[in-house]
Amino acid sequence: MPRHQLALITALLLPFYALDAGAVFTAPTTAKVASGQAEPFCNSGAPPEWRKAQEVEGVWMQESRVCNPDNPNDIAAFVKGTNNISMQTLMDTSNLAADAITATNDLDGDGDPDHYIIKLEIMEVNGHSPDFPGVVPTFDIAPGIQPSFWVFVPKNRDMSTRSFASGEANPLLRMPSPPIRVEQGDVVWLVVENSHYFPHSIHLHGVDHPFMDHAGEGNDGVGQTSQMDIMPGQSKTYVIKPRQPGTMYYHCHVQPHTHIAMGLAGMFIIEENRPNNWPQVFNVGAGQVRHPSVGVMEQYKQEYDLHYQSVDKELHQIPQSANDVRLVAKKMNQEYDITESTDDYYLLNGRAFPYTLRESLIVINPNEKTKIRVLNGHQDPMALHIHGHKATETHYDGVLQNPAAQVTRDVYALAPAQRLDLALDSTNDGLHSFGSGLWMFHDHTERAFTTNGQGEGGSISLLAYKDFVDENGNLKVSHTMDLKPYFTREFWERKIPVWQDFMDDWGSLGAPSGTMDTKPGINAGATEASAQAAAAGVSGDGTGGGLLGGLGLGVALYFAYQHRERLIRQVKALLPKSNG
Amino acid sequence: MNKKLSMVLAAVLWGLAGSALAAKAEVIIDHTGKLMDHGDGHLMNMEGAMIMGQNKDKLPPGCSSISEERSIEVHAGHEYARQFPGTMFGFSSHEWRVKPCTKLTVTLVNEDRIRHQWMMHGLPKFMYDKGMFHLEVTGPGKITGTMILPAEDKTYMVHCDIAQHMEKGMKAQLIVGNGSSPFPSIPGVTDLAIPDDYGPKVADSVKLPTPVAASSSAASVQSSGSGNAVFLLGVIIGAVGTPFGLTYYRKRFEGMTRDEIIHYLLNSSKSTFDKVLGLIMTLVAKFSRK
Repeated sequence: MPRHQLALITALLLPFYALDAGAVFTAPTTAKVASGQAEPFCNSGAPPEWRKAQEVEGVWMQESRVCNPDNPNDIAAFVKGTNNISMQTLMDTSNLAADAITATNDLDGDGDPDHYIIKLEIMEVNGHSPDFPGVVPTFDIAPGIQPSFWVFVPKNRDMSTRSFASGEANPLLRMPSPPIRVEQGDVVWLVVENSHYFPHSIHLHGVDHPFMDHAGEGNDGVGQTSQMDIMPGQSKTYVIKPRQPGTMYYHCHVQPHTHIAMGLAGMFIIEENRPNNWPQVFNVGAGQVRHPSVGVMEQYKQEYDLHYQSVDKELHQIPQSANDVRLVAKKMNQEYDITESTDDYYLLNGRAFPYTLRESLIVINPNEKTKIRVLNGHQDPMALHIHGHKATETHYDGVLQNPAAQVTRDVYALAPAQRLDLALDSTNDGLHSFGSGLWMFHDHTERAFTTNGQGEGGSISLLAYKDFVDENGNLKVSHTMDLKPYFTREFWERKIPVWQDFMDDWGSLGAPSGTMDTKPGINAGATEASAQAAAAGVSGDGTGGGLLGGLGLGVALYFAYQHRERLIRQVKALLPKSNG
Repeated sequence: MNKKLSMVLAAVLWGLAGSALAAKAEVIIDHTGKLMDHGDGHLMNMEGAMIMGQNKDKLPPGCSSISEERSIEVHAGHEYARQFPGTMFGFSSHEWRVKPCTKLTVTLVNEDRIRHQWMMHGLPKFMYDKGMFHLEVTGPGKITGTMILPAEDKTYMVHCDIAQHMEKGMKAQLIVGNGSSPFPSIPGVTDLAIPDDYGPKVADSVKLPTPVAASSSAASVQSSGSGNAVFLLGVIIGAVGTPFGLTYYRKRFEGMTRDEIIHYLLNSSKSTFDKVLGLIMTLVAKFSRK
């Protein structure tokens, strides 16, 4: 273009811009983004009496000051076995099968059973449905977040959901796979009934078990060296008589790089042998052990299980992407590449913040000792930190550290699959504890306190002194920021400016108007649809043209249909001409 | 207990555990006679076999008598997934037809070594707890239960409610009389409501094609496939959307004079022109700076 023409155009356009030149630029005002519908802090629906210290079927259990406590009937069944409780108690459990735990034979006459038959099933939560777009049965790790998981579960009866009307998984059917407790020296038959649609197994990591059982079957759970995997519809019994106590680990050893990550992993604890010692066989959902073993109670007031896990959302979306089991297998085994994976969600006992606050609080009094067992279920090392406390590392991988060499510190390193036992002393001496409070504890690997990269989420939870949490597990947090946004879906969908309500009444850290949807809860469906349409419109070469061409044809078809009579007449008029 | 005896017992438990449980018991145990009656049609035993909603004599409303006595035997397990590719579990039959007011006896034979269920929904809730009739048994085992169907023409869903068992093949329907609308996703009976996407078809071939050729042909198939889909989408939007578009513009221009319409159109084209010009100017500015 010749220069003088360019100048001419510029000169012509100048007046348009000159009009604005006098005004000073003002940034957009702050728009208030509606915060969305917040769930209540506690909506577990658990009867308040479930939280109290009590006795069911002669089984004592400690108070559980959390929103979502374990069902006391479940605890009774887990301690005595489903064979030693009344039919009414069994019916009042959360769908536990009659043959879930059979505890018999006090062989050494010390007042407790020495032969356990423990039955596990394998189930999928947040799985695919060919009937509707949602997932079944549901297990939310945080508001609106439902990755699929595979879990070992105590053998169930009846429905997988809470009721026919509800799509929510029954309380036994959840992440993580439950910690299992047995007594040192007991004969344990661990029966795995593979009710899932893929092959699985159990490898008893760190648990004393013979390589082959006495019947000549492999007992190590490894398909390549031990025994063929357990096929869908089949079952296998692992036989153990563990000689050493400690915090161990169990997990599926079929395609372990995906199966462990999918959730087929849990803690396995061998309690020290004591007279009249009835360990709580399952601790569903991990967290507080309401009936600690005799050995633990000798030294501690309470006991907690902490199972840390992480989720790559791409992996956990695979079972939701198809119904045909062969397609799911292909995507899992041949298309998913763990070496290119990144973790998106971080879980403590199956949930991410703020849901961790409903069930994974550690609730203590001053001047007490609490035993905390930790399992690192991540692919990466973790660095647990408890605010305001320095606990003592007593065991690594279930083995007692030399008491003279036990370390007291405030960051605890755990390699993947590693277990650590901590002794937490709440004596306010400025070393072990800094006093009463609501002290956060979390993996100090910073990404672990995010959910899909947004904070504060992930696996954070709280060490709560009793004067900061009421009998029903509600936190006394009137002095803190409002936790409501964390209980909305929109917050986790990144639709709410994190600091909009923090500063002042004019929202100086809110969203500039025009940069965010101000009613995300209402428009969510519409924006998704338009985003999809937009994506469809610009997806690659030629498809845009295809859309336009199609549009043209569609419009033409419409008019053709509207004026079909005239068209037919004209065509008819043409026909004889061509014939003639 | 005698210490020595107990030690022997322990050794036996320890030693025989595996063989006792692992022995492939081919015998199908019938649990039906060994159940404890908990009332209200609920029977159960300690092996986890159960019947819920058993009803051998109460006539549902609308039935003056039992029209017919029928018995069906349903086998369940992985074996019955054989004829339905992509499933993992199944029933030996996925559809049954009975007359209204039939007294139906169902025997569930579970050939797997896990739990399976024959769970039916939609019965009158005042007669059947939760509106359910339910058989459950861990295999190899079988269980038999009885109920009486109401007079209404209705299709009842039958499934195994263990997570993913219905989705992966264990879904069926019981049609009473003329039935009502069928359920989706029943193997061999109805289509999946949400079909699976198998992607572009790859030709089966003895000679493996070079990876490059395979992937490029796959890509071209995919792009033309999605192109066709987008074209079709365009046709649909065009055909369906045109009348709406017409109504919209008719309404917009209603009551306007011819001049006003022309003015409006000119205005909008001017603003479009301005925007295009502005874009060109920015591009030129950028270009000349370089």
